[in-house]
Amino acid sequence: MGFFSKFRKKSPWILHYNTGGCNGCDIEILSALAPRYDIERFGMLNRGNPKQADILLVTGPVTKNCKDVLRRLYLEMAEPKVVVAMGACAHGGGIFRDFYHVENGVNNIIPVDVWIPGCAPRVEALIDGMVEAIEIWQQKSKEKEYLRDHENIIKTLGVEDDD
Amino acid sequence: MINVILTLLAPIIGGFVYGIERIVKARMQKRVGPPLLQPFYDFFKLMDKRPLMIHSLHALMGIMYFIAEWFALAVLLLGNDLLIAVFFHVIAVLALVIGASSVRSPYSVLGALRELMHMISYEPLMVLMVVALFLVVGSFDIRDVLAYEGYPILRLPLVFIAFLLTIPMMLQKSPFDIAEAHQEIIGGPEIEYSGPFYEALYTGKWIEYIYVFTFVFLFGGSHYWLGVLLVILAFLFINLLDNASARLDFRAMVKFAWGFLIPMAALNVILLALWQ
Ligand code: SF4
Repeated sequence: MGFFSKFRKKSPWILHYNTGGCNGCDIEILSALAPRYDIERFGMLNRGNPKQADILLVTGPVTKNCKDVLRRLYLEMAEPKVVVAMGACAHGGGIFRDFYHVENGVNNIIPVDVWIPGCAPRVEALIDGMVEAIEIWQQKSKEKEYLRDHENIIKTLGVEDDD
Repeated sequence: MINVILTLLAPIIGGFVYGIERIVKARMQKRVGPPLLQPFYDFFKLMDKRPLMIHSLHALMGIMYFIAEWFALAVLLLGNDLLIAVFFHVIAVLALVIGASSVRSPYSVLGALRELMHMISYEPLMVLMVVALFLVVGSFDIRDVLAYEGYPILRLPLVFIAFLLTIPMMLQKSPFDIAEAHQEIIGGPEIEYSGPFYEALYTGKWIEYIYVFTFVFLFGGSHYWLGVLLVILAFLFINLLDNASARLDFRAMVKFAWGFLIPMAALNVILLALWQ
């Protein structure tokens, strides 16, 4: 918690990734950027680049193809970072639950900090979730964060001594 | 004195210019837009990220870009040869290109190649503009240009228009934001920078604003009110164009620069030379 941490809440940059949802949530995100809600008022930008983003906004049930991409996006983001899962299908599958091609939600792949309920959530709910995410983000430190079952992954890959 | 202050405070003033630009852009889209100090909030936030780098050359070239950009501005403002300032700007852009093409990300390499296309398009025009100013004023020195009694804009209208249309190429604005192309190659050369290293690029861009608008200011000669007016008009025009147009292909940009802008500026220079 240094001098600069105070300014975090003023400029959260968002990385938005759709992991195979119906696109409803993505339309809501776009409408949050548009004149009516204009989340750039709060300094939020949709960066589309994991290296420069602070908040990973995930929608969709995580299809098997998207799994590795999602994990990679998460690992490429520089700490401190927060993950926000938006919409019912990001919380365990929603209407896609137990389909043959999905992983049943974001939490099975990467650790989620904030959940935004709804299918599709309203833009107000999205902004509310972002405010919540910023509060969590301010508590985080610059330490490296790992995936959920980090030890197991390291063991299966056989790279214990590789930092 | 004022030029020393302007040089030293260039990143701060550039940040304000960028903040104003973001507000103006938002208002043009009927949005409220971020607060004026938003670029500085971003700056402080990026200081607080975990530093990650690809390899040291890449990070070094990002910082080189910032330093060379600042140096080019210093050369320009502290009363030196205009041509030399133009060439130092080339060094800044080259640092960016070398850094971007030293990583394996295809978007970064693509961005670097497109950045070179930008350079091919606007550098000849910069040189032509400096030559045109020389023909009018009789000196490459910025102090002589700023002490010139007449109105350079009246004798170089076509050069001014050509330069106005090259500003989007230099500042990465639509329709010529080809190297940066946020929806397409996600920032181009800057894609692999993160945290404190991205900051160098982010701030270098602010300095570039000052650099470009200083050249616009020169068209006012010793009439500073005219220079300020031209800068404000150019600023609004660039933002309007940025909001109103879509991105072009890089071929269209090079064709436009070499087929239209450079002949136009050259015509003005030739007429001027014949006249004198
Ligand atoms: S939560 Fe509903 S609206 Fe959102 S992507 Fe899933 S199915 Fe579509």
